[in-house]
Amino acid sequence: MTVQGIRTVTSARNGVGAFILQCKRLDFHYCDWAGSSRGMVSFLKHHLPSFAKANPQIEIRVSPRPHKHPVIKGHYVNGREKAICVRNLEPEQIFNKANLLKAASGEKLKRTKKPIASLNESVRGIWDPYHGGFKSV
Amino acid sequence: MRPSVRLLNLEVPSIHGARSLYVCSVCRHEARPRPIVARQFLRNASSANSLTEKVRRKIWGTDNPPGLKDPYGGEGVIERKFKNKHAQTVVEEETPEASQALDTAASEDAAPAADDYEPATTWEGLDRVGHLGRWFDIAPAATEVYESFQVKKKITKQGLLSLAAHQTVVELCLMHKLGKPLTSICEVVEHDQSVFKLIWKTKIVPASNGQWTAALEYPDKEAEEALVYIFEQVGGQNVAPEIEEVTQDVDVEDARSDTTDIVDMDGSKQPFFGYQRTRDNGFLSLSLDDPATKFAFLKRFSQLTGHFFPDPAVHSITTVQQVVDYVQNLAKPKPKKLAEYLANNPRYQSMPNVKVFAKRQKRSDRDEELGRKKLIEAELRARGLIE
Repeated sequence: MTVQGIRTVTSARNGVGAFILQCKRLDFHYCDWAGSSRGMVSFLKHHLPSFAKANPQIEIRVSPRPHKHPVIKGHYVNGREKAICVRNLEPEQIFNKANLLKAASGEKLKRTKKPIASLNESVRGIWDPYHGGFKSV
Repeated sequence: MRPSVRLLNLEVPSIHGARSLYVCSVCRHEARPRPIVARQFLRNASSANSLTEKVRRKIWGTDNPPGLKDPYGGEGVIERKFKNKHAQTVVEEETPEASQALDTAASEDAAPAADDYEPATTWEGLDRVGHLGRWFDIAPAATEVYESFQVKKKITKQGLLSLAAHQTVVELCLMHKLGKPLTSICEVVEHDQSVFKLIWKTKIVPASNGQWTAALEYPDKEAEEALVYIFEQVGGQNVAPEIEEVTQDVDVEDARSDTTDIVDMDGSKQPFFGYQRTRDNGFLSLSLDDPATKFAFLKRFSQLTGHFFPDPAVHSITTVQQVVDYVQNLAKPKPKKLAEYLANNPRYQSMPNVKVFAKRQKRSDRDEELGRKKLIEAELRARGLIE
């Protein structure tokens, strides 16, 4: 009997082989008139160039949204979107929010109940009535 | 409880009718005489047939119970005073014929209220006010035409504002010199071109003591005489033809010698006959500390330029320069849009991953960008949902 390789496709472990940033696009919306966009306007004027330069893999779109609060919207590889309203925030705070969106995976936020989370199966295997002690069968 | 005297006061004319004071419906209702049962509790006990008096008589078992006639002390001081006053006026009205003569004029207004007055039941035959439609087809009367004090179009160019300020200063200096009321210069809405040229040539050399009278420096003696002559007429009758005669012969040689590149051929339509700038800026340092001068200056300046000056601005202004600066600040351009700023920013232009939109991005824009728009529109058209 010849030894055969296991027929399987390598599953993507993002970050093991190569890391692909999950955030693919960030939209920055602002209003020219409203006071709640003051920090956003300042951020776009002074901080965005350095942010864009540091993250060349993210597409950045800046567009006005008149008479609305300023918003940053992140688009992710998994097709989901995340939006954060940054009304009345300072440019530094907006920078933090942009970083948050950049680093997010795009998944819904989940509550982690267990101390360890793993994709690997348990070494104990699945429970089976015909193995182990037959006391109760 | 006595009814309020103030309300009583209001009640009287409203009851007596014709020319009543205006009293709002709530107050009138309050002051209206109440039904007898309710009134008995409200009136003071001095009236013999009041409820309290009746109870008192019943308690004592006699029609003349002991004690004070009115346990509440009768009418108040104010009420008594008011009553006296009212009685006096009634007496005065009744006595002489003079009062009748006075009242005739007033009663004529309400004359139809006599015997032959018949209240109208329909609108027919009544006097009408206004129009019943098509009023806009009627041509306005001569008195209804509005003419603005100021120029129709506001002047915003710096050179023209300086011209207006210079003209105003020259005019006011002349008015000061001639001892005429300063604001009467506003009667002359626009000078003749030759007069304006003389004004334009006149320089302002501010004196150390800030006097406006000594600040003028005329181009020559003839110009001075002409200007003085013209401004002597201001404030009096209209002497426009004379002005033209005088100024034309003064100006003949000037018109040839002066460079004509500043003045357009059709300068009459343009403000200040096409002149674009002043010859000197000495007028800017003139002081406006004198309130009368300041008022006259601002009035004339706003007439020439079309700009209003609010009170706080008027209060803070002390020199001609500040006036010109104030108006120039008003005319500053609007703040730029952020999109324009970003589009012109070289830091953004060099970045391949940043895209700046000047307009709001909608879903249709996204469709267009991805090439779906044509497909969507084609499908909609096929289904007859769009043209």
